[in-house]
Amino acid sequence: MAMTSHTGRLYGLAGALFAFFLLWAVVAAHPWATPAATSDPRLATLAQREKRLRADAALVQQIVDRRFAAYKVALAKRQAEIAAARSRAAASLAAAPVSQGSAAAPSVRVVTLPPLVITKTS
Amino acid sequence: MEQTGFRAMGTEVELILDVPPNGWSPGIFATVRQEFARLESILSRFRPDSELSALNRSGRVHAGPDLVRVTELALAARVQTNGRFDPTVHDALVAAGYDRTFEEVGALGTVVATRPDARCGGGVSVDRETGEIVLEPGTHLDFGGIGKGYAVDRACDLLAPYGPCLVSAGGDLAVRGGSWPVGVDAALELTLELTSGAIATSGSDRRRWSTTRGDAHHLIDPQTGAPSETDLVRVTVVGRSAVEAEVLAKALFLAGVERARAEADELEVPAVLTLDDGRILLAGGLS
Repeated sequence: MAMTSHTGRLYGLAGALFAFFLLWAVVAAHPWATPAATSDPRLATLAQREKRLRADAALVQQIVDRRFAAYKVALAKRQAEIAAARSRAAASLAAAPVSQGSAAAPSVRVVTLPPLVITKTS
Repeated sequence: MEQTGFRAMGTEVELILDVPPNGWSPGIFATVRQEFARLESILSRFRPDSELSALNRSGRVHAGPDLVRVTELALAARVQTNGRFDPTVHDALVAAGYDRTFEEVGALGTVVATRPDARCGGGVSVDRETGEIVLEPGTHLDFGGIGKGYAVDRACDLLAPYGPCLVSAGGDLAVRGGSWPVGVDAALELTLELTSGAIATSGSDRRRWSTTRGDAHHLIDPQTGAPSETDLVRVTVVGRSAVEAEVLAKALFLAGVERARAEADELEVPAVLTLDDGRILLAGGLS
């Protein structure tokens, strides 16, 4: 009889422990909380902001691409102008005499006179 | 016959004016001397305050008419000589040890020569309207020879209204009017009578110095970036102006004797070629 009472107390204690942990698990699971209450409003704001920024970035990229394409066209045109100008300058340089003013053709002959001056090496 | 001499642009300058004793003003010689000093203050690479030094430092400058003109003449010469005359030899000259006035180089005895293969041929653009000169990065100019030729021509312009004149500065000589017997340096037996135009002599026998890499001289071959090695010692050329004669003398010197002779004959440029074996050849119609 005493033993029966002792065993009963053990079962009772085990059952109480089980009931306690079960209740703990239930409380920890927050079964009463709604899904809306779990999402942080700041996360939602950040998500919206990220979406807006991505859209802005895509727009900016489009503008940059468009402007870079225009720049490349302008650059090619400018390079062609520079090449043409250099070509004209080279042609003009090649045509210009390497002398100053309108110097006449030199007049020289070998003579047997004593020299008035003697040229030196530069 | 009036004459005077003074030192400018690292050489002795001689002015001769064929006028009656009372028919001229001695002030013209002072004016010519001032003009040499003015041009030297613009065109010298050894003066830190010159326009050329400012251009070499910054790579871009709004220059006065003289620097613009000399740069244009030098660029034209580079095109016409296929690059044998090139004002962008500055760095090669410095690398060869010619990094200060020749008097100072000579006083040093042996100088340190660095890179023997300095780059030449860099881009130079000139805007005559605005006076802006722009150098490609790494490009520096030297107007040592052509600047002196330009000054000689300017001096002749100043003297000519007073009478027949002769201006000689180092290897550059020009005359206006009159008849001038001019001896050609080493070939002392040879005298050229010049009634118009100019004579210039380029050679490797002057402006030589000792370096840690051996002897060097100032005639740089733009293709190698080093003092040129040809079978010529000296070339004397007659041209319409001192600038033209200076350019042609350098170009023919770098060409070597065979090509120089052929080019002088083809272009009808009177030239005296002194070979390294001592022989002297006349070309371009001289005989």
